[in-house]
Amino acid sequence: MVRDKSWTRRQMLGTTAAVGLLGSRSALAAPALVKGSKLTFWGGLIFSDKANKLLAETVRKWGADNGIQAEVVMINQNETVQKVSAAVASNTMPDALDIGLDLLLLLSRQGIFLPIDDIYDSVGKAQGGWYKAAADATDTRKVAGGRTGLPFGISGNLLLRRNDVLAKAGFSKPPSTWEELVTQASAVNKPPFHALGLALSNVGDGNTQIGVLQSYGGRIADDTGTKAAIKSDATREYLRWVKNAWDKKLFPPGVTTWDGAGDNNAYLSGQTAFIANTGSVGIAARSQDPELFNSTLYSSLPAGPKGTVSAVGPNVRAIPKTSKNPDAARALLEHLAQPEFMSAYYTDAIYGPVTKDQAKFKVFDGKDAIHAGLLDLVERGTAPASPDIYNAAFADAWDNFLVPKMCQRVVIDNWDFDRAMDEAQRVTQAIYDKYK
Amino acid sequence: MSAARAIFGSSETRFAYTLLLPVSILLAGLVAYPFGYAIYVSFTDRVVGNDGQWIGLGNFHYLAQSPAFWAAIQNTVVLVVASDVLKLAIGLGLALLVNQRLPGRGLLRSALMLPWAMPAFVAFLVWRVIYQPIGGGLNLLLTASGIWPEVVDWLGQRSTAMPAVIAASVWRGFPFWFVSILAALQNIPLELYEAARVDGASAWQRFWAVTWPSIRPVVIVTTLLSSIWTANSFENVWLLTQGGPSDATIVFPVLAYFGMQTQRIGEAAAVSVAMLPVLAILVFAGTTMMQRGEDE
Repeated sequence: MVRDKSWTRRQMLGTTAAVGLLGSRSALAAPALVKGSKLTFWGGLIFSDKANKLLAETVRKWGADNGIQAEVVMINQNETVQKVSAAVASNTMPDALDIGLDLLLLLSRQGIFLPIDDIYDSVGKAQGGWYKAAADATDTRKVAGGRTGLPFGISGNLLLRRNDVLAKAGFSKPPSTWEELVTQASAVNKPPFHALGLALSNVGDGNTQIGVLQSYGGRIADDTGTKAAIKSDATREYLRWVKNAWDKKLFPPGVTTWDGAGDNNAYLSGQTAFIANTGSVGIAARSQDPELFNSTLYSSLPAGPKGTVSAVGPNVRAIPKTSKNPDAARALLEHLAQPEFMSAYYTDAIYGPVTKDQAKFKVFDGKDAIHAGLLDLVERGTAPASPDIYNAAFADAWDNFLVPKMCQRVVIDNWDFDRAMDEAQRVTQAIYDKYK
Repeated sequence: MSAARAIFGSSETRFAYTLLLPVSILLAGLVAYPFGYAIYVSFTDRVVGNDGQWIGLGNFHYLAQSPAFWAAIQNTVVLVVASDVLKLAIGLGLALLVNQRLPGRGLLRSALMLPWAMPAFVAFLVWRVIYQPIGGGLNLLLTASGIWPEVVDWLGQRSTAMPAVIAASVWRGFPFWFVSILAALQNIPLELYEAARVDGASAWQRFWAVTWPSIRPVVIVTTLLSSIWTANSFENVWLLTQGGPSDATIVFPVLAYFGMQTQRIGEAAAVSVAMLPVLAILVFAGTTMMQRGEDE
């Protein structure tokens, strides 16, 4: 970084004040902030406008308070991969950004990010320690020589259900198993009201089926993380479950081609009784359809014969090595991790806490069903990919929607289970072979 | 004669080369280099953040094992051929109609251009809504009119997904054919038709002997351009089906997009490069036909 050799008195005083302010909040040695310098931050757009505005305004205010020209660009999370890919290739990465776990791990392997172990340790220590779900999943020390991501929120799927419809059919408790889910769905299924709003399409929501498969004991690959292991009796049993629900017409028409908002739209328009969702639908219903919001209940995903598989998805903040203002970026990340901001942010954002102290925030006191569900997910959810190994090959398999596609072979093409599994096994092995 | 003169000829020739130089540099920088680089990248294992290494045909070998790749070849050919045939039929039919002296002809011409003027993503999102099984316009129309009493999942089943994508693509793309053919029709001298009438030619004979030879070069160029655009079109398939269900509508651009999602740039480039032979054949065939037409 290029700095002016001679500072004005005003610059010196201003910087000292800013450093002092941050220093009072952290055990870390305050980084030297260059007054008047620029910082670009890419924030991840989420479903809550209030949370998005709060994040952007907080960064801008922090910039103004510290004499830094902070520019905030909010990025649609569906476009993060493309934008970051282009930015890496053209060497135009921002100074700091919000990203998901997939991108963090992939880019950390390429040495794109700065290690920020000290910030990670400092924040964790000051806030009662990190939740295991956040700490384990974001541990990049083996692949990047240090921690490169600072967790700020955990997302994952909850099971949303229409209590008004289900209570009339005598179901007061959430389904504890996938089989029970089908039983409950069958009882309330009256086309065009199709009860089981689970995506089977080539989008992220469709990959919820990987967790269902795993809860039946199925696997993507073996314990070494190198050999495809999709073809198994457990997978056959899982496919039987899917086919059974399909043949009963429990899935709404169109689930095999739903886009990312397919389940949201189906639930919000009253076309389905169950969906697996991050909670964004609940937030939308709160403002768009209070009646629906009040009749919606949340629970963890049901279990299969091998238990519940409900993967947590930590979101992190990272600093690219190409940052022209790394000291300011580090200070910003630390600032955004402070309880004052996070407490307000979580109120509107659909994230679970990442540190133990954050769980004491008012929003997680159990009165808000969505956040209570997210806290439960953080405490009881499974590591990403688990029981599979979360490596580059698994991430590739995930992005190729292998399990939803296998389901489509069964329900759309009427392939028998073995033929569908054989194809999925071949495709998966070809993917894993690329990473040998 | 000096060596330079032997190579570059007269001063006039040198001047001509000089004038061509800026455009040549521009083409080399903006067309040839990215094109060549994409081909090079397709032979590497490049990922985002890492230039990767030369792996020869590794990416193509992987693609050849993918059912989605073979489905993409088949679907791309079906999409291009079916779309072109339908666009030709509709575009030609409407151009012939609007070329007549009809009341409100100007308004009709403008209205027919609307699908082309509409942003693609808006058009295909509207089509997605139209196709929706529950509450979609098409199903409402069919069930309410009694033509088809059962709700059809147009985009969610193999038998109807590709026809649905083709129909939406044709709707969006036919105005280009219409306006191109209409322009060609308006350039045909009326005397040719009058002479044909005097010779006792029927309407079909007039079309075949006068109209078709006159618009043939335009149809060839339009076919060529439309085929390339359709083969490279992404938003029609992505916004309607994301390539599903069960790869029933997956096409090369969507497959390449999936490659980019995994950050494997080399693999995504290989998908694009795999399209090249087909497009090259198409371009070669089109230009040969045009050349033959000019020679005749």
